[in-house]
Amino acid sequence: MSNAPKTLYTRLSALQWVGLILAILIAGLGFILGIVQKVVLQELIFYTAATFALVIWTWNAYVAPHAKFGAEDSGDGPSGFALARAFVYHHRILIIALLVILGIFLIASATVTGFFNWLNIVTFLVLCALLVFTVQVSQLFVDNRSAFIGLMVLITMFTVGSIFIEGFSSGQNIKSMMLFAAFLGLACVGQTLVALLGGLDLSIPFVIGASNVFLLYLIGLGMYSWVAILIVLLLGALIGWLNGMLSYRLQGQALILTLGVGFAVSGLTQIVTSIGSAFAGNVFGVVPDWLKNLAAMNGTTFGLSIPPVILIWAVVAIVLIYGMRNTVYGRYLYAVGGNRTSAARLSISERRYWVIAYMVSGTVAALTGVLLLGWSGGGFIGVGQPYLFMTLAAVVMGGTSLLGGQGGYGFTVIGVLVLQVLTSFLVGMGLKFEWQQFIFGLLILPMVALYARSPHIRTQI
Amino acid sequence: MNQGSSTAPASASSSTYMLVPILLLFLLLIIAVLRSPNLISPAGIGSAVIVLTPLALATYALMALAIAGRGTVDLSIGPLMGFINVTLVVLSGMGALESPVSFFLYAIAVGVAYQLLMALIIVYVRVQPIIVALSGYLALSGINLVILPRPGGTAPEWMSSWGLGTTLDSPILVILVLSTAAWLVFTSTAFYGHLRLMGSDERAAYTSGVRITIVRLGAHCIAGVFAALAALTYTALIGSGDPTQGTTYTLIAVTALVLGGTSLAGGRGGVIGSLLGAVNLFLIGYVLATFSFGAVQGFVTDLAYGLILVLSLLLTVAIPWLQRRIPNISPTIIFIVLSTLFAGVILHAKFDYSRPAPPALVSDVAAPDVVAAPDVVPVPDAVAATGFFFEEVNASHDASSTLAQPIALSLLLAIALLIVARAMVLQTRQRRFSPRMVYILISLLVLAAYLAWDNSHMPPSLAVTPLAPPVSAAAAPAPAPVDAAMPVDAPAEFPADAASQPDATPPVKEGT
Repeated sequence: MSNAPKTLYTRLSALQWVGLILAILIAGLGFILGIVQKVVLQELIFYTAATFALVIWTWNAYVAPHAKFGAEDSGDGPSGFALARAFVYHHRILIIALLVILGIFLIASATVTGFFNWLNIVTFLVLCALLVFTVQVSQLFVDNRSAFIGLMVLITMFTVGSIFIEGFSSGQNIKSMMLFAAFLGLACVGQTLVALLGGLDLSIPFVIGASNVFLLYLIGLGMYSWVAILIVLLLGALIGWLNGMLSYRLQGQALILTLGVGFAVSGLTQIVTSIGSAFAGNVFGVVPDWLKNLAAMNGTTFGLSIPPVILIWAVVAIVLIYGMRNTVYGRYLYAVGGNRTSAARLSISERRYWVIAYMVSGTVAALTGVLLLGWSGGGFIGVGQPYLFMTLAAVVMGGTSLLGGQGGYGFTVIGVLVLQVLTSFLVGMGLKFEWQQFIFGLLILPMVALYARSPHIRTQI
Repeated sequence: MNQGSSTAPASASSSTYMLVPILLLFLLLIIAVLRSPNLISPAGIGSAVIVLTPLALATYALMALAIAGRGTVDLSIGPLMGFINVTLVVLSGMGALESPVSFFLYAIAVGVAYQLLMALIIVYVRVQPIIVALSGYLALSGINLVILPRPGGTAPEWMSSWGLGTTLDSPILVILVLSTAAWLVFTSTAFYGHLRLMGSDERAAYTSGVRITIVRLGAHCIAGVFAALAALTYTALIGSGDPTQGTTYTLIAVTALVLGGTSLAGGRGGVIGSLLGAVNLFLIGYVLATFSFGAVQGFVTDLAYGLILVLSLLLTVAIPWLQRRIPNISPTIIFIVLSTLFAGVILHAKFDYSRPAPPALVSDVAAPDVVAAPDVVPVPDAVAATGFFFEEVNASHDASSTLAQPIALSLLLAIALLIVARAMVLQTRQRRFSPRMVYILISLLVLAAYLAWDNSHMPPSLAVTPLAPPVSAAAAPAPAPVDAAMPVDAPAEFPADAASQPDATPPVKEGT
């Protein structure tokens, strides 16, 4: 009893040590990469120090307080074989995973000629180190394990990508990755909020496509572009409201109902834009320059050569992550998603939160469509189609439960980044779209299985 | 849900949810027939069946999974069909699968294997089914494009005649009917009861000793078989391989599933409803195709799909409310009323009013009038109308034939409504069809077959279609006695039926 504070203290410091090691690892990796890419030494030192400080700060501010400790403490067991067996059993997942990687590596070395080069060996070692680290440290977490695993996967993929692909960690590539991640991330805002309530919104891709086309149509009519954008955003909110009101009584069928609304919206928009046009389905108009600048790859924000859409996404993400934790709306959203009955006892209106979540979803989807118009420069109804299941995949990969009450936008950001880095990696490896999709499909399952398994039926009775 | 069904009367069972698809079906059918009477002809129905069957079978697969609960919506059904389709075409192109038997066996093996894998992951890894389905969707639609980068290839020789759709008696129809019948037979097994119990309350099923693992695996096996058959009929329909149809088929199959009254929450759903949903979806497209919207045709179809989907979902919300107000609604009865109405519409649409009457064939059908229709003047018309012999009607009333048709039809409707009102009260108290209902349904089917074959109201043309003579010969007198005899002995027999039914009522399947 008396030594409990002492063990807690030693473990806390152990956790801080882990953070320190992680920071050194990441900063060192960046340093080596910088040397390989011949960055100016002065900048390199600055970046390394900044990375180091950032990692340490993040670790101490967010990770350490959430870590909880396993209670069991070995040391009284019999020595020798039994101890070894207990050790193996305790670390079975890690051992199996390491053996699998080793096996794949050996098989590949034996069969593929030229596989056994220094690049692959380094990759192999990095993978092993990260795997050991991830599995060991993730046992310390109870709450945010999915975020941690997602982050580690992100780091792993980024490292492997930088080793394998020329220019993967160049500023240009990172900028383009962030650009696409911003679009996907914005499209996922609504899906995350709705998923926190236990719903689904499949109308997002259709709303994106419809707002994309409709905005260009309004601009083509000669409207001021900002008025047109305002109208489109309001219409997006209206569609979201409709979704929310219609699906409130049919929460189990929200998936199909939002799909129906999506079909209708997409069809209606095209009919409206085709009236009086000889070329049905095609909308012509000139996208204003400032909108192009907002989302184009070579856009600038106050002179900086960063596309503003990335900043928009960052602001949205920060507001959401902060707001979901600290505002009444955010806390109540979790309350409703977690347990309807107890939320009702607190006189939280379930309908209100449900509808507002869908309204936010519709508005942000319309905003995404507007920004995508700036990116592509031409209206296209199918521009949202890739987001149909991608938003779902990103939300799920981040670790937000589709049953509601668990997760948050911060998780989704990690999911989006994982998907985007993976896409970029696969594109860099020269894989075509179909292979990317195949690998995505195969990757979602183990990712979710790592941290989002439902309890056995035995434990639910 | 459980509260609703326990307070509502007995007829508020799962079949009540078929009201919406039935109403929609007849609405669409009537519009379709009025717009384009060719739908009701061997070629029309044949081609409809060919187009419809893959969708219907895919919906069956989804339904089997949706009943199993846990919010299982197999989004990967479209890509799975695509996978089987593409591999079949590629393998047969390489000369690997020659005979039809191996073709079928391969497809079913792949479908069942995939679904079993999915079930094992759901059961043992314990990931939510929708995530497994999403994962499968992405993986399969990727691999389909790898196997066959663009639509192409050809289905084997023996399959090429399947997709023509010029006659009714295609193998596709046999597959559809057999699948439907197989599910209906399956519903009388204990396994089906376990499946529904598990779907509506998994914990209750587990605590009452149902081996839910086995039941879930079984549901997925059944869905795999349906998916394989859907892929086969899809291959027959397009006659080639197409890796790109995954998204489309997933979305429309889920739409058809919901239109058919299946609950995505689990425990409720049926093969008839799913079939109706698929038919409705086909008819929406068909009806819209008869209007010419020009270049915006596809958009109008999208709009209509969406609106009808949303509206029918909202109507299912209104049903329990409706049920409390009007307790005596039986879907079967509604079905019969509407099919009578529809038969009238077919006659109206297909009857050539301007054609001169054929030479007098004095009908022997008109003579034995058993019908209790004492109040209306044109009694012979009524009798003839019940037999649906409009030639004879014309024969007896040359000049006033145009006037006679509406009168005859309205009389027929009045009789039908009388029967229905009588049967409605009795039917609502029992959960199974009484034999009487089966007779009525069969006679309606025979009538429909007769109307379908009776292509141009010319007796010689009947001999052209291969199956026509026996059916039309049987069909011509058949409806008349059944329909005509109905009101006479109905009062005598219905109480007997009602009395005998309580013994035969099935065990309660709702898991509460």
